[in-house]
Amino acid sequence: MEVEDPDRLAVVTHDEELTYGQLADAARRAAARLRAEGVRRLAVADHEARVVVPLLAAASLVGVEACLYPPPAPPSSGREETADLLNRMEHELLVTDHADLAALAPTTWTTDQALDGDPGSSAEPFEAPASRPHLVLTTGTTGAPRGVRHDWARLVRSTRRVRPAVGERWLLAYGLHQFAGLQVLLHVFASGATLVAPAPRRPIEGLEAMRTLDVTHASATPTYWRFLLAQARSDGAGLPVLQQITLGGEAIPGPLLGELQAAFPAAAVSQVYAASEFGSTGSVRDGRPGLSVEALERGEDADVDLKVVDGELWIRSRIGMLGYHGEPPVDPDGWRATGDLVEVVGDRVEFRGRSSEVINVGGVKVHPLPIEERVGAVPGVDMARVYGRPNPMVGAVVALEVVAAPGQDLDVLKVALREACADLVPAARPRSITFVDDITTAGSKIVRRSE
Amino acid sequence: MTTSPADVERTVTDFLTRIEKLPEGFGDSTPLYADGAELDSLETAELSATLEDVHGSDPYSSGEMPQTLGEIQAFYAALPA
Repeated sequence: MEVEDPDRLAVVTHDEELTYGQLADAARRAAARLRAEGVRRLAVADHEARVVVPLLAAASLVGVEACLYPPPAPPSSGREETADLLNRMEHELLVTDHADLAALAPTTWTTDQALDGDPGSSAEPFEAPASRPHLVLTTGTTGAPRGVRHDWARLVRSTRRVRPAVGERWLLAYGLHQFAGLQVLLHVFASGATLVAPAPRRPIEGLEAMRTLDVTHASATPTYWRFLLAQARSDGAGLPVLQQITLGGEAIPGPLLGELQAAFPAAAVSQVYAASEFGSTGSVRDGRPGLSVEALERGEDADVDLKVVDGELWIRSRIGMLGYHGEPPVDPDGWRATGDLVEVVGDRVEFRGRSSEVINVGGVKVHPLPIEERVGAVPGVDMARVYGRPNPMVGAVVALEVVAAPGQDLDVLKVALREACADLVPAARPRSITFVDDITTAGSKIVRRSE
Repeated sequence: MTTSPADVERTVTDFLTRIEKLPEGFGDSTPLYADGAELDSLETAELSATLEDVHGSDPYSSGEMPQTLGEIQAFYAALPA
């Protein structure tokens, strides 16, 4: 493991700073421990970047399949979810400092134990493994999380064109257990930049990190950005100057792009279309929602190619997954349905939502995303979620949850919401409007599946 | 809001007023559908959701198909206290 500039900052948190040299040393120690113990697979239920980053590097060095578990969602302690994941992912070794999780796995290491191997001569490279597997859990917005099997050799292909960018400071708004977090990590380290990793990684901590830890670049879901803007409006402390804003992980409402451009006028705004299963298709920087039609039918030589089949986006990705844990492998170079419903409008491929999010209202299929976009543009709305609410008359009706901006007259706002949807076809008009304090999210994505 | 006949009537008349389908002389025996308020299936679905939100349950979700305000009030009156 060669480090070009060992004194350069690799990871910054509110509590500590770690250089590339320190991280490489920690990775060597962890790799030595994994190799000495003959570990082949491990789960990690700790989320500190100073632990997770060297563990991931170590696992890739010696060909151990690591899997990062998501942090528990309060008020849960995470015991039930961790036990379920250990069982379904068949993990026998768990790395965690949480005492109440320690008894759940046949073998448990603390993070100190995981990082305490003896690498001997630090200049001695580890023998290259036959494969470098990695397991990523999906966020579970459409059901129980699944284990997506990747290989580091394929994952790092996406960083081949990354330019050196020493001095850039990227906010880690995703968890490193998420594929998008992994992408940010790979991009930062491939460019020699610095990762700013607040904990926990909610918008409120992200905004604080932007303001105090000199963040220059940030990548997050549209939902995260909407929460962050609402937080900034609420606390009135202003927004920092950013050079780059990236959105991905879920469909991006067009109005949000304009809001972000206005809020961060010095920043370039780009969109990434990516998923745990197929990786990233690259970024779109023209400030318009959706993808250019030039992303379609790129040809056999492209690492990633897209096509539209019956209104659904299909993808062939040479940087994507090898399959799901516990299931037969997929053709790694074959075409797969993405589950994203799209429509080609002029020169754009516009997203209409997930196939699993479509609401069946008396036989009429309603996509929640365009309704959310429309509602989100109503003055006084901070956040909105559209989902299918079961109904005995028509199977489901369109239901709307709204987080109102502070000081709103909710009766007046409800009238405005109905007026904003009045010209929709009757099946698509929200039949249930509820004001809430928070919107249900999983992995910083809105959960829209029917309830 | 309680499930008293007066509160249920207020919920139903407010709903019909909002969707501009409150018949003149609306009362507890006025039909909710044809020859009355003329609710269609989506509006009935919305009434079902509204009643559940306001009163905690609704007759439609319990498998009933009330024809009038009076039958909706009777549903709530029959609920255990």
